[in-house]
This record gives sequence, C-alpha cells and structure tokens, in this order.
Amino acid sequence: MRWGMVIDLSKCMRCHACIAACRVEHFLPLGMTWPRLIAWEEVPEEYTTYPVRCNHCKEPPCVKVCPTGASQQREDGIVWVDQKKCVGCRYCVIACPYQNRTFLSKDKDSGYFPGYELTNFEKAGKKLYPHTVGTTEKCNFCMERIDAGLAKGLKPGVDRDATPACVNTCPARALAFGDLDDPNSEVRKLIRDKKGFQLHPEYDTEPSIYYIDDGRRGE
Amino acid sequence: MALRQWMVTHEWMVKPTRQTEWIDRRGLVFLAAEVFTALGAGLYLVSLLFNNWWGMLVSWIIVMFLKIPLHLIYFGKPWRFWRTIIPFTKTWNTSWLARGVNFNIYFGTVVFFQLVVAYIATNFFPGTVWGTLSFILGIIGGIFALLVGLYGGFMMSYCRSVPFWNTALLPLILLFASVADGFALFMAVGLAGGNVNTAAAETGTQWILIINALMIVAYLWNATYTSKTSKYSAMLLLRGSLAPSFWIGVVGFAIVIPLVISVSSLYIGEAITLLLITAVVLHTIGAVALKYVVLKAGVHNPICPTTTSSYH
Repeated sequence: MRWGMVIDLSKCMRCHACIAACRVEHFLPLGMTWPRLIAWEEVPEEYTTYPVRCNHCKEPPCVKVCPTGASQQREDGIVWVDQKKCVGCRYCVIACPYQNRTFLSKDKDSGYFPGYELTNFEKAGKKLYPHTVGTTEKCNFCMERIDAGLAKGLKPGVDRDATPACVNTCPARALAFGDLDDPNSEVRKLIRDKKGFQLHPEYDTEPSIYYIDDGRRGE
Repeated sequence: MALRQWMVTHEWMVKPTRQTEWIDRRGLVFLAAEVFTALGAGLYLVSLLFNNWWGMLVSWIIVMFLKIPLHLIYFGKPWRFWRTIIPFTKTWNTSWLARGVNFNIYFGTVVFFQLVVAYIATNFFPGTVWGTLSFILGIIGGIFALLVGLYGGFMMSYCRSVPFWNTALLPLILLFASVADGFALFMAVGLAGGNVNTAAAETGTQWILIINALMIVAYLWNATYTSKTSKYSAMLLLRGSLAPSFWIGVVGFAIVIPLVISVSSLYIGEAITLLLITAVVLHTIGAVALKYVVLKAGVHNPICPTTTSSYH
C-alpha cells in the first residue's frame, strides 16, 4: 500500500479551497503553508498554476538527510516529521528538491493578529494541534484522518472521514486520493488513462503526487 | 490587474530560488560555524604536518569552542543535539550531518588526548613510548580533521536540487580551502611566538593557493554547463550580485594577494612581519567570503515542469 494523490490541472480552478482546508484542519500558524498554489506567467497575461504540496516521495531525500531520524517514512509511504525528535537543523528544508518543507520560526507563529490576543480558533489550535517552534513542518497527507478512518474500517480516498481535508474540500474534484499500489484504485486509473506525470522525475525520488493535464485548462 | 496581484504573491519556486536557510538571518550563524570548521580542521592538518603543538591546540579550541557551539546555536532545538549522536541516531548511514556531528565529537576527543600525550612526551618523557602514542593519536586525529574538513562539502553536494553544490568538486574545494586557511592561521601562530617554520609554511601556502585557484576555476567552469540553474549560480558569482564578494573577497583577498606576498618573500629573502600579518588577515577575510558566496549562490531548481521565459 502506498498512498498517493492525483491533481487534475484542467479541473483546478485556482480557488485556494485546498489551502484553506489544510489551514483549518491543522490549525496552521499564519506563516506556515503546507500546500501551495504556484503560478507563473507562461505568456503575457496567461498564467499557469500548479497546486503543490509534499510529494511523499518513495525515495525521500529529506528522510535520508535528517540527522535525528525525525523525518520518517511509514510503511504506507507517508513521509512525516516527528516534531519531538526534530532538532531544527533545516537540512531537510534545503535537501527537498520540491521545497515543500518549512522551518517554523518564531516570527511565523506570531498569531493571526500580531500584538492582539489569540483568537478562539488559535487557542483551540494550540491545544488540538500544537506546532513546535524551532522544528520543520510539512504536509502529512492528513495521516491522523487516514489512521482514524482505517481504524473504523473506512477507505481513504472513498470515505470522506478517511480522506485528506484538501481532497474533501476541492469543489471542482480536481484532487483524487488513493492507493498507488492498487491497480484498480481511482488514482491508478487516472494516472494510466490520462497519462499522469510527476514533478522532476529526474531526481529519482518517485513522488506520490501525480498531475494530469488534458490541455483543457480553464474551459 | 487584480488577477496579476493575486498571482504574483504565489510566484514561488517557479524561477531559480536562492536557498535562505543556511545564509540569511540566523543562517549567518551557520556561515560562521562553517568558517570555523575550515579554520579549525585546516589548522590541525597543517600543524600536524609540521608537528606544531601550539597550532594543534589552537585548532582544537576553534573546533570545540567556536565551531560546535555555533552549530548548536543555529539549531532550532539545540538541547536535542544529543539525538544526532551515535548511538542515539540511526541515520548516520545516510545523513552527512549526522556523520559530521560525530566526526566533530571524535575529533575533539582524540585530539584532546593527543595534546595531553604530546605535551607529556615532549616535556617529561622524550624519546619514550609516549612519543609513539602521540604519533598514533596524531594520525587518528588527522583522519578525523580531514573528515571534519570534508563533511560540510558532502552535506551540500548531496542536495540534488541545488545544482551548483551538487558536484563532487565542492567537498574537495572546501577541503583545500580549509588547508589554505590552516596555513594562514599557522603563520599567525608563528607570529604569536609558536615556533613555526615560516619559510616552509610559505612554500606550502604557495602550492595550496595555486591548487585552490585551479580548482575554483574548474568548479565554476563546470557549473556553467552542468545545468541552467548552476550556470545562473556561477554567473551570480562572476557578474551578478555576488561578484564583489567573489572577485574582491575570494580571488583578491584569499588567493592573489597572499600568493603575491608569499612569492615576493622569496625575493626579499625573509618574510616581513607586516606583510605576513596582511596576508593572514586578508586570507581569513577571503575564507569567510568563499563560504559566503558558495552558500549564497546555492540556488534551487524551479519546481514547475516548464520554466519561465525570464529563467531562460
């Protein structure tokens, strides 16, 4: 079993809902963003966008360079950071070819309204999903949801309670989640039928995030 | 217009993007630690070559009381540093940082005993087994000094996303630069009364600076055709925002001026103290400049599959 995601670029409507969902799900500090929507001007006034997040590589360089073993890979392929072990050396931040790791410095956790009291949302976040200043963070494929869902007998990618928040939230259904090792899973079918591709395969990291693009963007 | 503003804020990693973690803001502490790595390891190797106890002592102090504390200060969670030490870490087989931390510890331990044994051998029991023991510990200390001088380069060259660093030349360049720094500091030890053979040190300096210069030329030449991003990094050094630091700091201060002073001393006959001090100070500034430009020119490849026109 290896969890993976397929992002359909032709369906993505750049609404940022996935980013907002992640922020709410994990009570992310203001300066921290796990998924991102990157954009650039291919030709004047015409933008190309890619939703990006940790690729949960099969051969993750971030895990190999971590001096403490805080960056780990689970048997289901999810790459995560044990914040209790992270020493904050930032080697993984530099070694990640996709730059999808962020070091949580004090200024990134200064509150949504610096100088004012924390909002109730932030106070709840400090209790429910504490973030440790001085360590590195990244997308964890909502592994808590996956684990809780699996414990209830649910199927990630099919049942909402076992599926990452960003996938559930996407109004255009541009994101699909499932088992890359299962030839009958939706993600595997999408990759096969629509010629899914990964970012920078030349790094030999084998990302678990695939993109599909049938050239009908914006239609 | 609104669309443009909305988009521009997300123009992230779509062009070659400079790494900031190891050079900006708190990253300057990392830079300082790397400079002291080069000075400490290089000075030990040179002092070992010339069997100079004072030089070895100074190098040990640099590594133990400047380099290691600075690295610890740089960590986001310094009190967890023990997690990087064998047997508390199992990642030393893949992580150059874990290896480096352990090389430093072994270096510090072995050289401490070597200094004690060498002192006893020289002052109390000359020509006895103490001298042999000091020699053996010196060899082991030298191996660890070599590894301390090398691991930073390997740490950087492991990063495939930074093509400028991702070359086997980088660890060697940093090691040879470290030895050159060692020669400069070694002469400083001599100026401070450390019983140094200045003439021999100057000959060594000349050779190591020439090798250094050739390696830097090869490194930059190689970078210009390895990939677009590495060429971009090389151009930052040669013509871009890092050109003043590179040409004045690295080429001028670290290589050309010390080399000219060193060669001129051949004709003058005896090294002039003022010129030696100038060479040592300028070379040390150049050592800082070399680490600075290499770290600052560490540029990540864009992550998007197609690249922007501005990148081309």
